[in-house]
Amino acid sequence: MIWLTWRQFRTQTLLAAALLAAAAVYLLITGTQLRHSYSADLLSCQTQSSQYTCAGLLNGLQTQYNGPLDLLELLVMATPALVGIFWGAPLIAAELERGTHYMVWNQSVTRGRWLAVKLAAIALASIVTAGVISLLMTWWASPLDTMSGNRFGTQAFNARNVVPLGYAVFAFVLGVTLGLVIRRTLPAMAATLAVFIAVQFLVTIVVRPNVMPSTTITMPINQTTMSQAARFDRSQAVTGPVTIDLPTPAGSWGLSESPALNSAGQPIPTSEVLTCWNQMISRGPLVIKGGNKPFGPLGACLAPLNLHVDVSYLPADRYWPLQWIETALYVALAALLAAFCFRRIRRSS
Amino acid sequence: MTAILEAHALGMQYGRRRALTDCTLNIPPGHVVGLVGPNGAGKSTLLKLACGLLTPTSGSITVLGETPGSGREQLARVGFLAQDAPVYPHLSVADHLRLGAHLNPRWDQGFAEQRVAQLGLDPAQKAGKLSGGQRAQLALTVAAGKRPELLLLDEPVASLDPLARREFLKHLMESVADNDTSVILSSHLISDLERVCDYLIVLVSSRVRLAGEADEVTAAHHRIVCTRREPDALPAGLHVISAEHTDRQSTFVVRSDTPLPAGDWAAEPLGMEDLVLTYMENAEASPRPVTRDAEVAR
Repeated sequence: MIWLTWRQFRTQTLLAAALLAAAAVYLLITGTQLRHSYSADLLSCQTQSSQYTCAGLLNGLQTQYNGPLDLLELLVMATPALVGIFWGAPLIAAELERGTHYMVWNQSVTRGRWLAVKLAAIALASIVTAGVISLLMTWWASPLDTMSGNRFGTQAFNARNVVPLGYAVFAFVLGVTLGLVIRRTLPAMAATLAVFIAVQFLVTIVVRPNVMPSTTITMPINQTTMSQAARFDRSQAVTGPVTIDLPTPAGSWGLSESPALNSAGQPIPTSEVLTCWNQMISRGPLVIKGGNKPFGPLGACLAPLNLHVDVSYLPADRYWPLQWIETALYVALAALLAAFCFRRIRRSS
Repeated sequence: MTAILEAHALGMQYGRRRALTDCTLNIPPGHVVGLVGPNGAGKSTLLKLACGLLTPTSGSITVLGETPGSGREQLARVGFLAQDAPVYPHLSVADHLRLGAHLNPRWDQGFAEQRVAQLGLDPAQKAGKLSGGQRAQLALTVAAGKRPELLLLDEPVASLDPLARREFLKHLMESVADNDTSVILSSHLISDLERVCDYLIVLVSSRVRLAGEADEVTAAHHRIVCTRREPDALPAGLHVISAEHTDRQSTFVVRSDTPLPAGDWAAEPLGMEDLVLTYMENAEASPRPVTRDAEVAR
């Protein structure tokens, strides 16, 4: 069985290995260059001891690598989908379509064992593939991740560390299952892609923010807090709410932020902040550049109103538990699908 | 010795469609069994039930005394060659033999290699590039190379030209002769099987119409021509399979389990082909499964 699995899967394995090798060469070369630029920039920061220049330099580096970063994250996120489409879906569907299951299921090997060996071997290959590409990606992007401090961003989270391994196992078994149910390769491939994307969306948007308890803090609005604000939005209508984007603690994942509230916990209308707003406007256009946050004076003006904002977030130390929980969730889904396949294949003909 | 195949009230239904109804069979060992019936009669279903690819929806079936497909041992004892002889297009001829060797405990590599050489197949050739006849021969080699006690062949010659048909059947007989392998092979044309099979099953619209040793079956059937009369007017013990009447004459095909009694008629034996065609044509007219009586009579 192992020989047959290898013989049938040989071309795909070699192709995957070649693609991985090409990706590895690219990532190792550009990753090394990125590291060089990063440490050079850090060094010049320290010697010039000017915070503004430093932030500017690092911003420049981030901007320079934004394109490749996006592309590579896309590649890492596409890898599990490709595994599901090209390794999972045809595994049984192609046999059923060509009728070769009649030959192979009538050798002296039970269908259960046939499936077990194929699932185990190719699931392992999927894990290795996703593992290698994720490892390279995590290494490649680590200077950029350190600079952005945004490890919970959708792409940053989905394309780093262990979750891609869970995605790959799930996508593979999903493909196998849909192939067994649909019995035709091309429709099974399309269905695999559609279902995989749907599950990814669902987990990323609905499950991930709710899977661990979040922390909520109340932040007063004054000069100190407002000097860190990234945005301040009044409503067009004077009765509308005021929204302020205050940063959550470093490395944490901001989940939600209330509008500006008064001491009674009620959202304040825009009319209450108009005086301070007009004061700020009269000082000329706002310039947000580098680390410069220009809302400090506005905070000082608003401080007597006794306003606050409720911010809820996941602290930075929840990153790894969240990675493992999500990986476990995908592996569990894959196990359920595999169990279904074993039941189903006994009745399949 | 245990029967090749024993079925009791075996039935298979796909949704609401009945593929096999109330099938009762007891095929003694050591036979080459021809399973004949029109397309869609349930031949493939019966063979797939026999190798364990399908599980019956009613009744029971045992093959060589065991439940079909019940484990490695049973799988090793039964070989199956599906319709259109599927092979792996990207694997070479030699790879197919290696597949057989890796997946079967009793694989006979010497036999398989010798057959491939006899057939003039290039071991390095991809199976996808073989002709229909060569593909069927390769699939037969894989099925026979595992040295099964029973070989099930589903329409093995349907897609072959007449020459390839003859070649295939010749090789089949050579392959099974040395090993006392029993064979069940299906076809919608009796002429394909006439020369090779010594046991006959006729399956029409999901029911078994006739089952028995080929010579017994042919001996039991006659065409009688007599003056015009109703079937009821024939002596008891003659089962009328078909009746045709002209103004003055009646022609009956009858089965009698005892020697045909003498009467005021002209009787002639039927060839296997005529016999099978008669059963196929008159399937709707005689819903009574003939095997039932045959079982009792035996």
